Amino acid sequence: MFVHIERGSSIPISRQIAEQLRSQCLSGLLSAGQKLPSVRELAQQLAVNVNTVFRIYERLAAEGLIELRHGDGTYVCPPKTQADAQLALQREKFQKEFDALIQQGVMLGYSAADFRARLTLAMATARKQQQ
Amino acid sequence: MSDSAISVQHLHKSFGPQVVLQDVTLEVPAGQTVALLGRNGTGKTTMIRALLGLLPVDSGNLKVAGCNPATESVELRRRVGYLAEDQSMYGWMTAIELCRFLQPFYPHWNTSLADSYLKRFDIPRQVRIERLSKGQSVKLGLAVALAHAPQVVILDDPALGLDPVSRKEFNRDLVEHLQAEGRTVIYSSHLLDEVEAVADQVAILDRGRIVRQGPTESLREDVQRLVISAEIVRQRPAPTGLLDVRRAGEQFEIVIDDAGHFLGELTSQGYAVTASGMTLDDIFEAYVIGRPEKWSDTAIASKA
Repeated sequence: MFVHIERGSSIPISRQIAEQLRSQCLSGLLSAGQKLPSVRELAQQLAVNVNTVFRIYERLAAEGLIELRHGDGTYVCPPKTQADAQLALQREKFQKEFDALIQQGVMLGYSAADFRARLTLAMATARKQQQ
Repeated sequence: MSDSAISVQHLHKSFGPQVVLQDVTLEVPAGQTVALLGRNGTGKTTMIRALLGLLPVDSGNLKVAGCNPATESVELRRRVGYLAEDQSMYGWMTAIELCRFLQPFYPHWNTSLADSYLKRFDIPRQVRIERLSKGQSVKLGLAVALAHAPQVVILDDPALGLDPVSRKEFNRDLVEHLQAEGRTVIYSSHLLDEVEAVADQVAILDRGRIVRQGPTESLREDVQRLVISAEIVRQRPAPTGLLDVRRAGEQFEIVIDDAGHFLGELTSQGYAVTASGMTLDDIFEAYVIGRPEKWSDTAIASKA
């Protein structure tokens, strides 16, 4: 397992590590049932705070990507339980793209009112397509 | 975790007319690593020396590893490991001789532990200290500071003068030998990118005051850079937590703590605001050299 940290990035280190582990689980690079390094081992390997690594593992476990087996170790979960995480990931990606789009709109001179009008219109179209 | 391993309350210290520390309050829960950040001459070393009882304080309550530094300094030194900035050691001694020299001062000195640190830190035993590299002598300082298995470790700018590889090794040792063993660590540093990876909490010291203390991760979420229109600046008083204001034409770039609060307020009023995250370096800079007063200057100028 490889994790690379960019120090001095505007993305917090905890998020960098979590995102890399998440995408490695989802892409299958880390296969189901594979044992991950312990919190201590990974902390030492990356020279990152032990508590930070622990929180990342806990978060990924809550997303159903990995499983913390007490007294045994941390294992990658099978794809079935990863479905929720997949959704969470795609939502996060959508959020980012949405934010970027809004930012672009602001630069182009759109006001909040313009956005609202646009949103109402887009929602109406989307509903029509669903029917 | 609820007990503080280090507790500082309303600490004041002046050297003659010069006030060095003003009303400094800091709690470090047991088992946490706290980085003390500040520019040169902001009182970091003074604070560390006060924690160790090396310096009398004017007023305030201090408790380190359960001891009062002013009255129980001998017991405190048994419980605390300390590495000074530019720690001086007798250059003519070898690492082994230094260990033998220090051992009688510490009833809890653990010879085999000292030995294993020398081994793990790759410190030559029979070479005179004056011949060791900077990195080796910092590590030797750390090894002897840890050889009595202290509960609390205080390091004054340990990474100063180390090359990038040694710094990373040093951070790794900090994580492996101190955090993983549940010790409480307070250390001062200028290297903010590295602090982020290692510290549970940061405390920013500026002109003798702690201007911000908080968990490293939440600090990065709370402090953000926003781009807002000049209209907002003219219409309302400066928001709380404002740290820096810069102007570019009709746009203002501000840095603000507790950004979520102000962002929520602006979006509920229908303003479009762009927010972006910042590095720890940027956050530190905003805290120590930010110019929040520019907000009211602009508001006043527009009214005139």
